[in-house]
Amino acid sequence: MQALVGIDIEVKAGEFLSLIGPSGCGKTTLLKSIAGLQPVEAGRITIGARAVTGPGGAEASLVFQDFALLPWATALENAEFGLRLRGVPAAERAVAARRALAKVGLAGSFEQAYPSQLSGGMQQRVGLARALAVNPQVLLMDEPFASIDEQTRRILQDDLLRMWSEERKTVVLVTHSMEEAIYLSDRVVVLSPRPGKVHRVFEVPLPRPREALDVRASGEFARLVDELWRILKKMQ
Amino acid sequence: MKFAAVQEPAFGRGGLAAIGALLAVWEILGRMELTIFVPPASAVAEAWWGLVSTGTLAKAGASSLLSLAKGFVPAAFLGVALGLAMGRFRTVRYLLDGWINALMSAPLSALVPVLIALFGIRDTVVAATVFLFSFFVIVVNTMTGVRGTERSLVEMARAFGASEAALFARVYLPSALPAVMLGLRLGAVQAVKGMVVGEMLISLVGMGERLIYYGNTFLIPELYAVIVSVLLVAILSSTFVQTCERALVRWK
Repeated sequence: MQALVGIDIEVKAGEFLSLIGPSGCGKTTLLKSIAGLQPVEAGRITIGARAVTGPGGAEASLVFQDFALLPWATALENAEFGLRLRGVPAAERAVAARRALAKVGLAGSFEQAYPSQLSGGMQQRVGLARALAVNPQVLLMDEPFASIDEQTRRILQDDLLRMWSEERKTVVLVTHSMEEAIYLSDRVVVLSPRPGKVHRVFEVPLPRPREALDVRASGEFARLVDELWRILKKMQ
Repeated sequence: MKFAAVQEPAFGRGGLAAIGALLAVWEILGRMELTIFVPPASAVAEAWWGLVSTGTLAKAGASSLLSLAKGFVPAAFLGVALGLAMGRFRTVRYLLDGWINALMSAPLSALVPVLIALFGIRDTVVAATVFLFSFFVIVVNTMTGVRGTERSLVEMARAFGASEAALFARVYLPSALPAVMLGLRLGAVQAVKGMVVGEMLISLVGMGERLIYYGNTFLIPELYAVIVSVLLVAILSSTFVQTCERALVRWK
């Protein structure tokens, strides 16, 4: 059985795009295909000029729902992991990893902490730092805040937006939170299940920087979430 | 803390108190002279000192420890290597899993005649029994450790471009390390069992020979002194492995 058919999406450089849809719509499969972890049977995925043929490409980094931190490694060693696999010398690696940790708000004493000593939110900050440390063009995020409590999630969402506007990375985010999709994205791609295909592409015309403008409290935000909900409800 | 058990010392205060109480009861029972098979603890201590000062224990102990090392060190290296291969490669696992399980649950003492045929009755056969007693538990624990590696960590490493070799060295191996160390600890205890079985049932050398000798000649305090020494060897080898484990697995 095919998980996905007829997916034709073009993500612009620097764009923040979300994938949403009921479970079984293949949104995570699609993200993993972009990361090269899931081979595609037909069709093509390109990042810039390069076709994705397998995992480990330098253009894109993944951020995982369960953080996927090495429990035996400190925050700094975890942030260095991608660079280490690429054979970057130790000194250079430490500098880049420290810079990435600082970007996600984990400078200083947290560097030497093991994942078990960090809260879920801080663990995902390390996961984000690991992805940023290799300096990819594209961040692929697989429900990164799904297992984090509501208050921390909001703070992380704001920090992500701030980081994104500074770094101008392209972000593709899988989520099942409608609020999260609307709050963060330029566009939301709604996928329908069995087999997964693009149901609707939803523009989010909310002004930026949203984290500074208190967009969550606006009527327009509520209206867009409601509109997205109407689309998703029809698919249930 | 959920990992507190790993950090606990081998003998806390409670452990020492329990040993003290046991020794006291032993001493009292011994003084009651119920049977010659329960001499007082002090008589055993005296006999133990006698064995130490005449060099008997050192001589028997040196022979035993040498066999222990000659059997356990190869069992540790080969056991970990085979366990890693079985954990990582399905083909190897399919080929060997049945054998390993059968040999692990088999009463190894039944192999004594085979061992005698293969190695004779010199001290090499003791090293062979040590090997056989400790090898399988090391293999199985190592394999289980490798197979217990989180799938999400493997996927993460692949996503960041890990080669097969890097995946093994940076994900599978560190992930399996606690289980490997547990296997080595259990293996060390098994190795001491193998040593005593080999020395008593086959070879009549080392501490096992002393056990048989003092048993047959009814030198009961000396017999207990050797038993206590064997226990000490078991505890010390296990503690040695545990110390290595703490140095290697600091993240728990």
